[in-house]
Parts: sequence; structure tokens; C-alpha cells
Amino acid sequence: MSASAEPWRDPAARERRLLALGQAMVRESRADETEVLLADGREFLTRFAAGRIHQNVGTEEAAAVVRVVLDRRVGVATADSLEADALEAARASALAVAEASEPDPDWPGLPKARAVKPVKAYHRATALATARTRADFAAAVIAAARERDGEAAGIVQTDEGTLAVASSAGVAVAHSHTRAEANALVTCGDGSGWADGVAVSLSDLDADRIGRRAALTAEKSRRPRPLDPGTYDVVLEPAAVAEWLQHLAQVAFGGKDFEEGRGPLSGRLGQTVTGEQVTLWDNARDRRTLPRPFDYEGQPARRLSLIRGGVAEGVATNHYRARRLGKRVSTGHALPASSSYECVPMHLFMKGGRASAKQLVGEMKRGLLVTRFHYTNVLDPMQTVLTGMTRNGTFLVENGRVVHAVRNLRYTENVLAALGRIDGASKRLTRVPGPCVAPAVRVRGVQFSGVTEF
Amino acid sequence: MDDLLERAVGLIQQAGASYGDVRLRHDHTERLAVKNGRPEHIARSESAGLGVRVIVDGAWGFFGTHRLEKGALEETVRQAVDIARASAAAQTEPVRLAPVEPTTDEYETPHQRDPTAVPLEEKLDLLVRATEAMRGPNLRLAQAFFSAFDTHQDFASTEGARIRQHIVQTGGGIAATCIADGRLQVRSYPNSFRGNFGTGGYEFVEAMDLVGEAPRVAEEAEALLAAPPCPEGRRTIILDGGQLALQVHESCGHPIELDRVLGMEIAYAGDSFLTLDKLDTFRYGSEEVHIVADATCPGGLGTFGYGDEGVPAQKTPIVEAGRLVGYLSSRETAPAIGRTSSGAMRASGWNRIPLIRMTNVNLLPGGAGSLQDLIADTDDGLLMMTNRSWSIDNKRLNFQFATEMCREIKNGRLGRIFRDATYTGLTPEFWGACDAVCGWEAWHLWGTPNCGKGQPGQTARVGHGVAPARFRGVQVGVKA
Repeated sequence: MSASAEPWRDPAARERRLLALGQAMVRESRADETEVLLADGREFLTRFAAGRIHQNVGTEEAAAVVRVVLDRRVGVATADSLEADALEAARASALAVAEASEPDPDWPGLPKARAVKPVKAYHRATALATARTRADFAAAVIAAARERDGEAAGIVQTDEGTLAVASSAGVAVAHSHTRAEANALVTCGDGSGWADGVAVSLSDLDADRIGRRAALTAEKSRRPRPLDPGTYDVVLEPAAVAEWLQHLAQVAFGGKDFEEGRGPLSGRLGQTVTGEQVTLWDNARDRRTLPRPFDYEGQPARRLSLIRGGVAEGVATNHYRARRLGKRVSTGHALPASSSYECVPMHLFMKGGRASAKQLVGEMKRGLLVTRFHYTNVLDPMQTVLTGMTRNGTFLVENGRVVHAVRNLRYTENVLAALGRIDGASKRLTRVPGPCVAPAVRVRGVQFSGVTEF
Repeated sequence: MDDLLERAVGLIQQAGASYGDVRLRHDHTERLAVKNGRPEHIARSESAGLGVRVIVDGAWGFFGTHRLEKGALEETVRQAVDIARASAAAQTEPVRLAPVEPTTDEYETPHQRDPTAVPLEEKLDLLVRATEAMRGPNLRLAQAFFSAFDTHQDFASTEGARIRQHIVQTGGGIAATCIADGRLQVRSYPNSFRGNFGTGGYEFVEAMDLVGEAPRVAEEAEALLAAPPCPEGRRTIILDGGQLALQVHESCGHPIELDRVLGMEIAYAGDSFLTLDKLDTFRYGSEEVHIVADATCPGGLGTFGYGDEGVPAQKTPIVEAGRLVGYLSSRETAPAIGRTSSGAMRASGWNRIPLIRMTNVNLLPGGAGSLQDLIADTDDGLLMMTNRSWSIDNKRLNFQFATEMCREIKNGRLGRIFRDATYTGLTPEFWGACDAVCGWEAWHLWGTPNCGKGQPGQTARVGHGVAPARFRGVQVGVKA
């Protein structure tokens, strides 16, 4: 088979092809300004449950997002194709949208080209992973769980893709990446446990470890006892911490809500918004996350301090929001122009502490150990109040020891305030799918407002 | 395109698949958002591609591609078959499908004005006027939304089905956001999160009278800023249509999905408390509670002619007088309950496999008359309106909802406004406490356009017909 029929075998060639395609579209555009974002990739996902693969899928997908500007009127159109007809239709559609729109007096122009340093995020063997490879990985997870009499369900996923951005402001960047993710929910009678992993390379994920770790928690979480709702100290494992942080990113760290005055940090940069032990940042370039060199406007990714020592320091912006906030350039967090959310941090980090996860539990007089949360949603964005359930392993801790599993509880909590009550964090940071790199933490006085039956 | 489908079916058969189907799908989407009198976001998207699903050696494989040229077809089928063979290596029992009569048919959802063909200027003008009609001293954001989804799909199976469908879905709404003293309150119409949605044309949005409703919506958002918080306690509550639709969605619609019940979704969204042993015996709710899954319901967002594995749209009893009597099912899962498929398999696009999805999961009307009649029949309670937040556990038992607005009911009359109202409970207890459902005069179809499920993720557009209903002794008010 020719290389052109299997473009994923040569990501560099694909980057050149997408860039050339985008730049040609920009050159041929009759708009005042034109930006073209092109993506091409493949995704494979194997799902297993009850000892078998019940869903097993693959797709090859392409996407084009065309943004044009006519006399400060902006139009956006997208197509899931890189064929000439589809791209031309998208450009025509974007022009029609711009013509029907109204001039935006605040339109700052498309962002100019800035230097982008490459990052390493492509693993060839992961890009070429076969269905059989994924099936073998799933079988290993299932086998590891069964060694502890557990039944595993979960996924094995391998993706690869290329993103290119070209614009009339001189932007011309391209990047290829791979991504592997696996997880297991293991049930053991009425107990359940969870483990997951995400990496650039599938070889960095350990099927046996994922299966064993989830099974161990499942075994321990059997025969959960009811516990009254109330206020408890908690040790949150990194998956639970990441769920809070990712929701916080949505409500608090996006430049659009911030600038519109409806974010919890609106008007509060430079102020103390949580405890001094809380330091959060975003850094798409860090090798500990899934690295990306630039955002969807082709602007360089860079470290952005969100909260340092409890003080709010920044929010994520695209070019438009940066200018409205009086900044010359964005923070490099633009979403595609087709997204109304505009900009959010997507590679979060939280500073760890000095403890081990065991110490966090060992130093707790009475409280809960929470593996992860489920179905978290926002109750009050301005107050960062979230609600959600615990899931797959919730334990009562007394005098520094796990005494038994408890039925899952509902928390309802002001998360910024709760983070301010952290009195211990693990030294080790864990990369959680999202991605988010977070420690385990111990939080005093988390409010649990309800309990379920399992 | 017929040729492409026939060729794909031929390739699947040549590859030795015991079953296969092909969906050739084209989606055209348009989303408009206007803020404070100005277009804020206008986006159009086109997506076309082909999805091939096969059973080989008793196991499933799927591959989707955006490449529609003939040369890509062989590779697409080969990929699907290879994936199925890998699945078979871990297979314990071969997949068996409930029978369905292969059909050749065409179906189109009724609509008067093609929503994507209505001039952009006309649609924007309506939204701009709606935002300009919202006024208030603390009004920070006056927003109006329009969405249209136009889907053409051709389906062919190795069993001989050949089905062409055209589904037109439209939606819109307005929202007023008031901010003062660090507090934010939102009031929406006709529903939160970008409005209401249904199958139909632009007439669906025109009938909403967004401009006429806008002043009231803004006034209520202002009133919420000044209102006291909803007090805690065990209360009688009446849920309005928009909130009740989401209650049905989360606490009935998801737990009756048979793939969840069988554990196929356990590692992601979860499983279900409505286990197989409960079928035909479990008391899900009070005798007032009658629920059907009805894909034939005119105008519903979950209305279609055929599901995405060629099974005709159906009306399936789910809860009869409070007793669980049915599930949403697929051809693969239906044999587990000794029935044929309820026709609920749907995919969010050509690039996703069909999953069991809600159709229109409807709470049937009761005998409590209009909403005004139900309020008049309530001595002491709360009317809770329009969803603000939702969360439910992974078996769909413990839930917590928040609503935009709450009104006190005293001696059959509406009284004070409360802000930040929430209620919580356990699903069977909650539905068991339902003592009145309003009648047909208050029954309305609501669309939920953002139902998430599956890995890779899929977003489905589903419907819920409900009339406001009353529940006794519900825990209200959860504070952080």
C-alpha cells in the first residue's frame, strides 16, 4: 500500500500536507482576514465488560474550521473533511455568516505569528497499534482482576492526530501527537474499584497494574456500610482532586466568563481566593501532561499561573479575550473558533506537598478516603459550589486506618473554599485523564449532603 | 450513493461477516448566539461519512471514515472486519441479534420551514429583538439562541434493509443573567441551556414568542437577585415541565437503558438499579406514574422513523401504574429479557456506533388538570421551575437537582419567590411520592439536546413529554 493511502505512517508528511492546504486556502480567500485550522487523525477504542470485548471501534476523521473576517464581521464554518469541495463549501459558508453578521468594534484582528517551540508528543508504535494489541491489553487487565476474583470493565484507547493552523496574519504551525488511555472498573461482589492511566505512549501504561490496583480497591470496598451525611475530613485520591480542578477550570479559569463578570475570579486577580497551600497552573508544554506546542489559534503554549499561594493570578485567554483584558497577546489557550467557550486551561497542574498518600490517611483521626467522584456538576458558578457522588471505593478512616468501606455519599461543597482547607498533600503527582496532574490531598470539613444505597 | 452502500454491503458479505450494516450520513448544523443585541457566535458545520458495523466470528467491529471515495471503502470494511476478529479473540459467547423484518422505506420528520434555509438575517433579527426586549438594572447578559440540526442518513444491512431518513430538529431560547453583590441569577425561557428543542422546522422557534416573553424573563432574573434563599425542609413540591423532563431523563430514561442494566456501560456512566429481576414486579413509583418510550410521538426531539440498526420506531411501555414493565433495548440486548428490540439504537454521527439511547421517554398525563388547578389543590408547597443543575449516582438512585426559580405555594396560591432552590432524593422513593400529574392541557414535549453517553463520547438529542406533577415529603434545600 502506498504512503499516501496510509498517511498516518508519516506524520511529518501529513503536517506538511495540512499546512500547505491551509496556506492555500488562506491565499485564495477574498476575506480581509482568514484563519484555517485543519485536523486529521485516527482513533481506536476497545471497550470490555463481563470478560469480553463488547464494543470495538475505529474511525479516521478530519476537521476544518474556517474563520473569516470581512470589515470586522466574523464568520465561522466547519467541515469534517479535507476534500476540496468540502473546504470550499466551508469557506463560502463562513463568508456568508460574516456577511450576515455585524461589525464587532472590539475585533482585534487575528493573532500574529509567534515563535512556537516543538514538543515531543508522538509515539509511532502507539499510532500503529493494532486491534489485536488493544485486545491483548484488555485481556491482561481482565486476567489481573480475576486473580483477585474481580470482574473488570473498561477501555483501551489509542489515538493519533495532526493539527495545523494557518492564517493571513502569518501563522503557520503544525504538530502531531499520539494518546493512549486505559482504565478498569473492577467489581468484586458488592465492592468496586478503579484505576486508569493516560500517556503519549501505550507502552507507558501497565495493564496488569491497572487491573490489580482496581481489583485491590474493589476487594477492600466490599460490604459497604451506610454512613450518615455530615461534615468529614477527607483524603482525596488524585482522580477526585482532578475532577474538582477540571470543573474549577470551566467555571473559574476561562477568560470569557472572567471578562464578562460572571466568573468567581472576576475582579479578584491579585486577591487571596483560597488557602495559601493552593498553587495551580496550566502548562501544555510540560512533559508530565500530554504536551502540545500551540493552541487552536496557533499561539505558543506556555505556563500560566492560575492561583499561587492562594492568590488568583491569571485566567486563560484567546487573542480576543486577551485584548479585551488589555493584554497584547493571549495566554495560548484558545479553543477552535467554532467553540463558544473560547478559551479554557486544559493541562492543569496542582502543587503537591511533602507527604505520602499513606501518611495522609495515617494522620487522619476520623474521616473518609475517596477514590473518585461521579457526575459532578456546578450548583453555583460564582461561589464555585459543586455537587457530585463518590464512586468505586469510599472508606471510613479512624485513627489513621481504613476501618471499612462506606456507601457512596453525595458532596455539596464550595470547592475554592474547600481547597483552602487542605492540610496535607502528597509529594507524588499523578497524571489523570483530562489531562490533569494532581497530588492526593487531605481536606478538612467537606460537606456530604446525602447518601445512596450502595 | 446507493451504489456506495450496495458495494459496502457486498464487501461485508465477501469478508465472511455473519451480519453487517452501513450508515451513510450527512449532518448539517447551525448554531447562533446573540448577546446584548449583537451576534456573538454564528457557526455552521457540515459532516459527512460512512460507518460500517460487522459481526465476524461472533464479535463486533466498527470503522468509520470521512472518505467517501470508492477506493476508501475496501479499507473501511477491512478495518471493521479486523477489529471484529480482534474482539472475537476475547469472546465467550457469540453475539446474537433479535430478529427484525428487513424494511425498504423512506421517512422524513414533518417540518414547514427548513431551519437552515431561513435567511440568517431573519433568524438573527429575531434573536437580537429578543435580547433587546430584556431590561433591568442588574441585567448583565441578555442572550438568545438558535440551533438547527439537519440529518440525512441512508442505512443498508446484509439482511436486506434499505432505509433513507431525513431528520430535521430545531431549537431556541433566551436567558437573562443578572449579577449584583457577587451573586448571579439566571432565568431562561422556554428552558435552560439554550432553550427547547424538537423535530420540526423554523416554525418551532417562531411559536415560542421569544420577544414577547423576554421582558418577563428579565424581570424574574432581577427578582431572583433580591429573593431570599429557599428554606430547607421536607416539603410538598410541584415540578414544572422543564424541570420534570430532566427528572424523567436522569432518573427513568437512563436506568431503563438495557445496556446499562447488563453492565455494558458500568465503567463509564454506570449501570442501573433497575436490574433484570425487577422487570414486571418492581414498584418504581406511585399509581399515578405511567411512562412510555415513544419514538413515534409527533414533534419530539427523539422522534424518528427507524433506529440506527433498522428497527422501526416504537412506543414501548416502561412504567404502568407505578410498576416497571419495560426497558429501552437493542437487537443484541433484547433477548436478555425475551423480547424483540424496542428500536432504541442511535448513533450521534457516521463516526460512532449506535448505542441504546432514549427516544421520547414520556410521563403520561394524569387527572390533575392544569398547572393552575394543581397549585390551587396544594395547601402548602413549592413550585420549582426550570433546571439549573443536575447530578445523580452511577446506578441512578441518589439525585440532586437545582432549579432557576422557586415559588412558595400557600393555600392554593403562589406566593414569595425563593432563589437557589434544590431538592434531593432516591429515585423510587421520589416517584413513589408522586400523588398528582397534570392532564393533557398541561402536557408538553421537551427536548434534551445534550445527552452524553458512551466511549468515544456521543451526544444524543432526546425528548420527554411531561405535564407538571406533585411530590410529597421531598427534601428541599441543600446548602454548601
